[in-house]
Amino acid sequence: MRAVHETGRRRPVVARTGGYVPLREYAVIGDGRTAALVARDGSVDWLGLPDMDSPAVFGAVLDADRGGRFSLEPAVAYRSDRRYLPGTNVLETTFVTSQGTARVTDALTLHDEVALAPMRELQRRVDGVSGAVPMRWSVRPRFGYGTRTTRLLRRAGVPMATTGSDALAICSWGAGEPQCGVDAISGSFLVTAGGSALIAMPFAHQEPLVLPARAECDARRERTCAAWRHWADDRIYTGRWSQAVMRSLLILKLLVFAPSGAVAAAVTTSLPEHVGGERNWDYRFSWVRDSAFTLAAFLQLGCPTEAHAYFWWLMHASQLTHPRLQVLYRLDGRAATTEKDLPWEGYCGSSPVRIGNAAAGQLQLDTYGELMQTAWLYARATGRLDADIGRRLAELADLVCATWREPDSGIWEVRSAPRHFTQSKMMCWVALDRAAHLAERSLIPDRHLARWQSTRREIATFIETRCVSPRRNCYARAAGSEDLDAAVLLGHLYGYDGDVQRMRATITALGQELRHGPFVDRYSGEDGLSGAEGAFLTCSFWLAESLARTGQLAQAAALMDDLVHLANDVGLYSEEIDPATGDFLGNLPQGLSHLAVISAACAINGAYKEAGG
Amino acid sequence: MSAWGTAAGAFVGTLVLTTALRAAGEMRLTRMDLPFLLGTTVTANRTRAKAVGYLMHFLNGEIFAFMYYAVFLAIGMAGWWLGALFGLLHGLFAGTALVGVLLPLVHPRMGSPLTSAPEAALLEPPGFLMLNYGPTTPVVTVLAHIGYGAIVGGFTQLGA
Repeated sequence: MRAVHETGRRRPVVARTGGYVPLREYAVIGDGRTAALVARDGSVDWLGLPDMDSPAVFGAVLDADRGGRFSLEPAVAYRSDRRYLPGTNVLETTFVTSQGTARVTDALTLHDEVALAPMRELQRRVDGVSGAVPMRWSVRPRFGYGTRTTRLLRRAGVPMATTGSDALAICSWGAGEPQCGVDAISGSFLVTAGGSALIAMPFAHQEPLVLPARAECDARRERTCAAWRHWADDRIYTGRWSQAVMRSLLILKLLVFAPSGAVAAAVTTSLPEHVGGERNWDYRFSWVRDSAFTLAAFLQLGCPTEAHAYFWWLMHASQLTHPRLQVLYRLDGRAATTEKDLPWEGYCGSSPVRIGNAAAGQLQLDTYGELMQTAWLYARATGRLDADIGRRLAELADLVCATWREPDSGIWEVRSAPRHFTQSKMMCWVALDRAAHLAERSLIPDRHLARWQSTRREIATFIETRCVSPRRNCYARAAGSEDLDAAVLLGHLYGYDGDVQRMRATITALGQELRHGPFVDRYSGEDGLSGAEGAFLTCSFWLAESLARTGQLAQAAALMDDLVHLANDVGLYSEEIDPATGDFLGNLPQGLSHLAVISAACAINGAYKEAGG
Repeated sequence: MSAWGTAAGAFVGTLVLTTALRAAGEMRLTRMDLPFLLGTTVTANRTRAKAVGYLMHFLNGEIFAFMYYAVFLAIGMAGWWLGALFGLLHGLFAGTALVGVLLPLVHPRMGSPLTSAPEAALLEPPGFLMLNYGPTTPVVTVLAHIGYGAIVGGFTQLGA
């Protein structure tokens, strides 16, 4: 397996405007517990510790002054390129200056038991490639989103930052004498061809800091690379867009919260859907909405361990709220996701900066279809369902029968009044359809099978009579509406058994009215929020997949080709893209975007194989 | 004090504790399921795990009861209230250290704060006071253990 864009063009680093770089300039590294955003100028601008959803220690991407960062760059003008080491989530940035070239390797090392390892560890190794490059670095930790007092001090000669039960140290070798200032630990050094330096940042939470030796750090980084490569080598994908698919899978793996098996929607909070706007949300949770795509991706690409872990987590997490589903759950399985604002200015002034997500309390009927589809995929792959889970799934189906007539907030979590969204009704249909299939195979209790089947017919009648645009004879966004919604494509992808011609007309209408080149807007009409947003990347991939599933293979492949090139230089996708500028918008890397890459690529390849192409 | 009383108390106490936790689960108060957590140390088959887990849970109930018995003997007294106090300490210990910290470290399928990629745990760790399994889990667990302790203490005294 090879990483996408392994040899990118060296480009001048885009100057920071007000302390911020374009979101497209970020790469992500992670260890399955937390993740960091690394800018192309070598600054770690986001890192939550100890876990992905913990308060940030580095948050400069959301407040350049108060957020904290770990910068490492040449002290002279430079150009840079970067790549992931093949088959890993370890980042390599090459800085080219007039005085020489230096290479920085960034890794969040994985847990191993060969040597006593820190609880979490960020390693930044600098290698001299040619000439002699003056380098400078600075660590400005801001614990608890900058709300907690950070003490900088030296213990046993090692610079440290502490607050309460959290502490981090800066262990450096060959990186100059660290200076411990009032609010930063910093240093500078000269790296020459063949020489190297290492800065390790061990972190401890509720335990003493582990201060590693350099040899241990080097060995652990090597083992980290080897573990990633070993994992990637075992994955299966042979088809078009293989580099994009495998990079997406590696990103997806990075979003798996290893201690529980949950999959985060993204590693960040409040990166804006519109710069300067209020559409800033915390995505460091696991959405039921993503579950079917997640399980399908794991199963299709040979990740049974992740598939089992995720399904187990999903069924455990949803137990407390059963039979009702929450829209999202915390990565550790807890249900509470109270939303509040941080006193940060936000990315390029995009406030509020939110932590927590109030969407958890919304009614989103589509989640029932997603969960049932997930269970169906799991049962098909394993051939069985636990009796207790089977009973719960049957109760979910009963709940769908009782609630499908209610208006809801829909998959897009609009903050306007609840409506009868077409996609929600389609997913209720999917829920009952999959429940019926499971019952017919004796995988869940079948006492209410007849009721599920009759309600499924009622839902189909509602959709075909109330959720249609008379003008276009296609599925509308909601009952009685003339607006369009790209999410309706999900009904098609999950096998909603509606009018085939009407679905084709819907795909055509979406292509004509919501598509601009490769970009597809989520929906037309209002959503209860002010301001605009970019094009939602996932919808573009859904459209490509729908085109393939309706036999329009050439169009599907052409759209996919365009979309693959929209990733940044290291293969990442955010949530949205500004069609005018190509700038990334929204949280990143966005799990749903990468899931959609995998799903669309697999579907189009499958369709080509079926067609004998 | 009677060892037979302690053994009988352990059986009844574990029965009550297990039933209380199960009832709390049905009332959506907690996702805590001790037999399931114990059973999954030996199998990933959920149904078999629960069956094996109940056996292990009752065995654990006897072991802990005889720890209580040893202390009853050492201090020369036993009773409902003393047993309830032991149960309170037992419940707090279970939530903070035994299940909260030690179990994730030895459970082959449970994540711990140290679990990292490329692994993916099958069972989420319980967290401090087992709060990951629901906000009322500590209350339910401690109350169930107080009940267990009271029954063990009472049976130990009655058996004299």
